[in-house]
Amino acid sequence: MPIKVEPVEVNIGPQHPSTHGVFRMVAKIDGERIVDVKMVVGYLHRSMEKLAEERTFTQNIPFTDRMDYLAAMSGNLGYCLSVEKLANIEVPERAQYLRVIFGELQRVASHCMATGAFINDCGAWQTPVMWCFRDRERVLDLFEMTCGARLTTNYMRIGGVAFDIPDEFLPALEKLVNDELPKAFEEYEELIVGNEIIMMRARDVGVVTPELAINASLSGPMLRSAGIAWDIRKADPYCVYDRMKFDIPVGYNGDAYDRMTIRIEEMKQSLRIIRQAVGDLPGGAHKTDVPLAIRPPAGEAYSRVESPKGELGFYVVSDGGPAPYRWHVRAPSLINLSVLREMTVGQTIADAIVTLGSIDINVGEVDR
Amino acid sequence: MIADNGIVIAFWLLAATTIGCALMVAAVRELVQAVLFLALTFVGAAGMYIVLSADFVAVVQVLIYAGAVSVLMTFAVMLTPAADRRNSETVFQVPALILAGLVLAIVVFVTLDTDWAISDRGAFSATAASLGEAFLKPYVVPFEVASVLLMVAMIGAIVLTQEDEVPPRRQEGE
Amino acid sequence: MTLNALRLIPMRSLLDLITGYWWDLRDFSNLTRMIYKHLEDWGFPDWSIYVISGLIGTLGIIAFIGGVAVINIWVERRVVGRMQSRLGPNRLGPFGLLQPVADAIKLMQKEVLQPASAPGLIYTLAPIAFTVPGIAVFAVVPWGRHAVLASLDVGLLYILGMSSLAVLSVFMAGYSSNNKYSLFGAMRVIAMLVSYEIPIVAGLLGVVLFAGTMDLQGIVLFQEENWAFMVMLQPLAFLIYFFAISAELNRTPADIAEAESEIVGGYHTEYSGMKFGLFYAAELINAVSVSAIIATLFLGGWWAYKLDELVPGWMIFIGKVYGVYFLFVWTRGTLPRFRIDQLLAFAWKWLTPMAIINVVVVAAEVLAWEESGWSAGFWIPVFIAVNGALTGALIFGFVKFFAPKFQRFPTRPRFYPDIDVPSLPAVTGAEFMAKGGQA
Repeated sequence: MPIKVEPVEVNIGPQHPSTHGVFRMVAKIDGERIVDVKMVVGYLHRSMEKLAEERTFTQNIPFTDRMDYLAAMSGNLGYCLSVEKLANIEVPERAQYLRVIFGELQRVASHCMATGAFINDCGAWQTPVMWCFRDRERVLDLFEMTCGARLTTNYMRIGGVAFDIPDEFLPALEKLVNDELPKAFEEYEELIVGNEIIMMRARDVGVVTPELAINASLSGPMLRSAGIAWDIRKADPYCVYDRMKFDIPVGYNGDAYDRMTIRIEEMKQSLRIIRQAVGDLPGGAHKTDVPLAIRPPAGEAYSRVESPKGELGFYVVSDGGPAPYRWHVRAPSLINLSVLREMTVGQTIADAIVTLGSIDINVGEVDR
Repeated sequence: MIADNGIVIAFWLLAATTIGCALMVAAVRELVQAVLFLALTFVGAAGMYIVLSADFVAVVQVLIYAGAVSVLMTFAVMLTPAADRRNSETVFQVPALILAGLVLAIVVFVTLDTDWAISDRGAFSATAASLGEAFLKPYVVPFEVASVLLMVAMIGAIVLTQEDEVPPRRQEGE
Repeated sequence: MTLNALRLIPMRSLLDLITGYWWDLRDFSNLTRMIYKHLEDWGFPDWSIYVISGLIGTLGIIAFIGGVAVINIWVERRVVGRMQSRLGPNRLGPFGLLQPVADAIKLMQKEVLQPASAPGLIYTLAPIAFTVPGIAVFAVVPWGRHAVLASLDVGLLYILGMSSLAVLSVFMAGYSSNNKYSLFGAMRVIAMLVSYEIPIVAGLLGVVLFAGTMDLQGIVLFQEENWAFMVMLQPLAFLIYFFAISAELNRTPADIAEAESEIVGGYHTEYSGMKFGLFYAAELINAVSVSAIIATLFLGGWWAYKLDELVPGWMIFIGKVYGVYFLFVWTRGTLPRFRIDQLLAFAWKWLTPMAIINVVVVAAEVLAWEESGWSAGFWIPVFIAVNGALTGALIFGFVKFFAPKFQRFPTRPRFYPDIDVPSLPAVTGAEFMAKGGQA
């Protein structure tokens, strides 16, 4: 005599502690088990892609800050690369190295946030997230030192970067990269990676098969956790990544635990890249002179960077005017989120939260 | 003086609480509220045991009846598909009332009619120890039979409610 | 001048005064005797003295609990703040000690919102019913050799009954809020109660078997008599009780009933203002009352190897309580949460069998002790060794044979220095357009 139960529909979000912003997940739940999930996005839609058609190419850079506000540098970089590709602008060597340094620092900051928030979703009472915030703050201090802003940096410019680094930047960076962050990562290994409860909660939760990952065009840690070695920095190197030596961490099982360890290892690889970039940092100008109201020739360009979330692509169409004719963003958060239903159906509510946390979405980027 | 008056006061207070809650169990239209009132009734009965200086039984009453049995009843209520927040009126109300009244009348009549023998032994001391002795020495066979019966009931419940098709689920380590 | 003035004070009698009061601090026996004497002089009947002394004891305990509920907000936030590499509240008053007052004022000023569809009586009663058992537990906890409010024969069972009532009130709150998240919390609590009551009772049975009584004062006296804390004799029962009770207390790693990241606030999602404040306070009070139980049962309560002859017993007791409380705060600040099925599996597959094995072993030991007629001086060290070895062996064996296999995959990912890249039509937009729009 099986007990008949009806599935209950529960709104997880848009006002929920663990949806990382105003994302909504309508879950049909049978007991504790999820039967069906419907995703509702768009609560943070600010119509950036349309607004950008009214502003000049340079004025659009702050939009990229506010898209993925946890990885503003990566957004800046991807957009500037696309305009430079469109207008055929050469970027000085020093600027390219600075872009690599700041892009990798931003990856460390974003992955810190992702790891901490993920452990928080696993139910730890704020401690790991505070530790990760502490290390993210150290990175943000460097941003502030250079460009005055911590979160929405607006640092990259078409043709280079906005400011050269101040004198006290390099010693602070070396202290951070060689001393403080490696120690912090050791702490993470002890606290998080070896923790049996995290293994129980995250192993075999939110599994992405390699086929699903490719079919859904996932990218970033989501794709790499499924066992596929793919990284835009290797596949389609931009800036000076082809001169850097680094490894791509790749997971085994495609579950939440793999994604977390991949993020931690990627932070270590980022430090490795930063060390090389600082060692090779050439002198010279940090910016080519580009007219403020730049008018690229009519045409279109797509350029992509490996943002902390995945492949962040910018597609820019110009009709020869001072503003883009069309501007489209390939947002990794949105595309990585699209497999949420496949990942969560059949699991418990707690698993669904862990899965959502391990995708590392940023609703600002999902909705744009 | 306190011993006599206090116990009388306590008895009447507890009796009022117990009977009031028991009436509410039948009166409220919401099953979960009824279960909660039932838990209060159990607590009142436990107070009665304390008045009778059977403190072990009283505490066990709270632990098992108010703590566990009412929880199981909540489980049953929550798993009953027909249990809504508000129960509908039924045609059985009047017959049930009459039946309940009859039962009450019989109990009252029997209580008043019986010639109660007053025992001359005093209150129990250390009820836990004497109960333990009783369970494990003279009454060990009924005690064990009761436990086996409960065990059988538990296994039966598991067998009855187990679904035939267990949905495949990946476990750690498999 | 000052020194001369000091000489005027009779030092000897001052010392006597201080030491006298110090001794009186042990159990306030002089104070209580004085009160009784006055009451008798004023012609109160005997029973009223009985009632008044009970009332005074009750008021003392309630005052202690009120203080604890206020102070522990600060303790918990400061300790966890340190663990999270931040400072914790430090603005209001010295070391931020007035922060709880500010919190309380804030909560009292807040509007109490109640869902329109909530059954008012249950909704209002739930936070009160949740607070009472935590306080009521202190009635049977001994504070000193002569300081115990109610020395119940069945004190331990009384505590268990009270803690099971607290869980019922959590269900009341979750059900009456008429919110899906609250209902999830309520049902999780019920499932957890059904599972965890068994290892708790079975674990404590070992303690009761050794002490031969369920009176808490009797258990403390047993430890004093045999010169050993119960945690040495019963390390397994201590661990079982600690894990199981932290599940019943709704604290991480088992706070699945309120699970902030999953079901928002669980049973207290719909509570606001001082009704929520009561839940918050009750959580702290329950944690302290459980710490008091652990301190009494396993750590000797007010007794501590002759130290209780120098320091008043209740001070030792409070010190132990806060030691145990620190353990709770520590686990809360460190560990993530179990999933509900893992938590229930932990109760059924690990704690319950361990507790039953423990009870059997303890029964055999007690039988051997009673039948052999040898002294406690011989048996207690033997029991300490045997039970310690048993604990180690059981934990090792369970981890070895029953633990889920965590290390199916390595914890570190694989590393690829190079990847295969399919050739791409890598041209700029301008080149693309120059070719007539074809790659």
